Amino acid sequence: MKRPVQPKFFNYMSTILETVDLKMTYRVGKVDVHALRGVTLNVARGEYIAIMGPSGCGKSTLLHIAGGMLTPTSGRLIIDGEDVTAMSDAQRTELRRRKIGFVFQRFNLFPTLSAEGNLKLAERIYARAKNGGNPEGRRRILKLLKLEDKLHHKPLELSGGEQQRVAIARAVVNRPALVLADEPTGNLDSENSKVVLDMLRGLNNEFGQTIVMITHNPEAAARADRVVEMRDGLILSAGVPHTDS
Amino acid sequence: MDSLSVANLKQRPLRTAVSMAGVSLGVVLVVLMGGLTRGMTRDAAGRQSNVDAEIRFLPGGEISITTSNPLMLSARYAGAIVNGVKPAPENPGVEPKPPVAAVAAATPVGQYVQTGAGAIGFEMVDGIDYASFKDVTSIKIVQGRPLGSGGDEQTAHEAIVDRFYAEKNLGLDNKPIRIGSKIKVLDQPFTVAGVYEPPMLARVKIPLKTMQELFGGADNCSFVMVKLKDREPVDRVIETINDYYPGNNVIPTSEIPALYSQGLFAVDVLLDVVVGLSAVISGLVILLAMFTTITERTREIGILKSLGASKRLIVTIIEREAALISAMGVVLGFVLSAIGRYSIQSSTRLIVDLDIKWLLIGGLIGMAGGVIGAFYPAIRAANLDPVEALSYE
Repeated sequence: MKRPVQPKFFNYMSTILETVDLKMTYRVGKVDVHALRGVTLNVARGEYIAIMGPSGCGKSTLLHIAGGMLTPTSGRLIIDGEDVTAMSDAQRTELRRRKIGFVFQRFNLFPTLSAEGNLKLAERIYARAKNGGNPEGRRRILKLLKLEDKLHHKPLELSGGEQQRVAIARAVVNRPALVLADEPTGNLDSENSKVVLDMLRGLNNEFGQTIVMITHNPEAAARADRVVEMRDGLILSAGVPHTDS
Repeated sequence: MDSLSVANLKQRPLRTAVSMAGVSLGVVLVVLMGGLTRGMTRDAAGRQSNVDAEIRFLPGGEISITTSNPLMLSARYAGAIVNGVKPAPENPGVEPKPPVAAVAAATPVGQYVQTGAGAIGFEMVDGIDYASFKDVTSIKIVQGRPLGSGGDEQTAHEAIVDRFYAEKNLGLDNKPIRIGSKIKVLDQPFTVAGVYEPPMLARVKIPLKTMQELFGGADNCSFVMVKLKDREPVDRVIETINDYYPGNNVIPTSEIPALYSQGLFAVDVLLDVVVGLSAVISGLVILLAMFTTITERTREIGILKSLGASKRLIVTIIEREAALISAMGVVLGFVLSAIGRYSIQSSTRLIVDLDIKWLLIGGLIGMAGGVIGAFYPAIRAANLDPVEALSYE
């Protein structure tokens, strides 16, 4: 049964992610591949957007640049008021540590660590200290993601959906300004996909977590506040904020 | 991060074990070689000085122990020091010398270094004149009888051995040594006439006369041991002997252990080579292990980077893992060294001292080799491109 539609408003004066005419060209052999041809996009704080488009349209490149893992050929990238394009590699790493959480299609958990170990590792990297992290915050997130009883399980002992929930927990455990999710349901069946999408939605609703999600799945995209469509390295439509689903 | 390093080691137990074994090999090499050298040197030097005679009278020139020309000093010096020199009818031109007043007794000793039993290491053989030797030392025959003069056929091929030698060796009949057993000395069969205590100089002693005949027949020896009368100052007596018989080396017996150690320069060089080699082995083992690990874990390094781990942190994680392997390898090396020491000492006559210096050097080499060996793979991991690392299959 569909929940009643609630209007949701964003303060576009408080932009968390801003790209200005981003271009990215790869050299593959002797051929230049233009992955991004001038992408301009704004994401407001607390917004949940989905980026859709066919394979090779530049979605992942945009996500990697937004996460500070790739340097654009030209253009500007501003995250939470900081100009990332002017940063050194070490500064971008620092920004990623402080402000960004990643969720990957293939979960990318450390197979040798338990679910809790994966979360603690993220906390330790964030805090750069040998303290116990934030047990209370960790508990809240684990509860929200229904992972309390899976703490001591290693990734291979968990289902795909559970692994992705652990990966989401790891991405948000340090309360980053921005979560970048690359096809988070791409490796999941429809049931687990729904659970994961519910979790992302819950995080956005409950914690006001800003989420930028790449997806091929229109149903997944429909759960976002706004859908951005890309093709051939360009944004076709930046979408219009719609109602909560 | 600690748990990540430990978990990674547990995840690949075989590689961890092989890496530990590689590090431990270097440690064992250093500890056993160092311990063997120290043990043998200490034992030999101890036995060199474990005599009552306070002064050693040696040929002039550099003091050394050598297998060639072992008998370079006239054995007559022993008598000359005790009794003085008088012109003889056959040699009227000789300069007369009075006895060295403070000397109680002196004995000539021939010494030769031969290959050890089973071609392991080396061992010394003494040629002694038992009659005068017992006057300058506290030698006691605990089994059998004293060594003969060697001047007749019956005693020429007799030997006496110390208790350690008797207990650790077999006779030519492959049976434990007892009185009457035949042993091989200077490539010839000798009959064990007695067992003596305490250990002093070489463990095997044959008549000096026999040794002289085996090396050309001259009335020579390797050195003369001089025992002083009670409370005589050693320095003053050395001065007097030098005045009477210049051109020789006259030294206090107490200096022998130090001289003995200094004389083993080649062994020190060999030890340096072993230490260097061990460091290289440890370094290479860890380098290869960590290089393979990092290649296998490229994606995990990409994840660390996506989580915001700095290059320094990635280097630290990898170095910590290498340090853990090295530390376990060092401990394993110590255990294997102790086992090796037991095996060597129970199956050969070699003595291995597991002293703190060589344990420290071995441990340090194992740790340093491992940490330095992991540095290149760690740097390589830290510089991986995060996007490429994440897409690594």
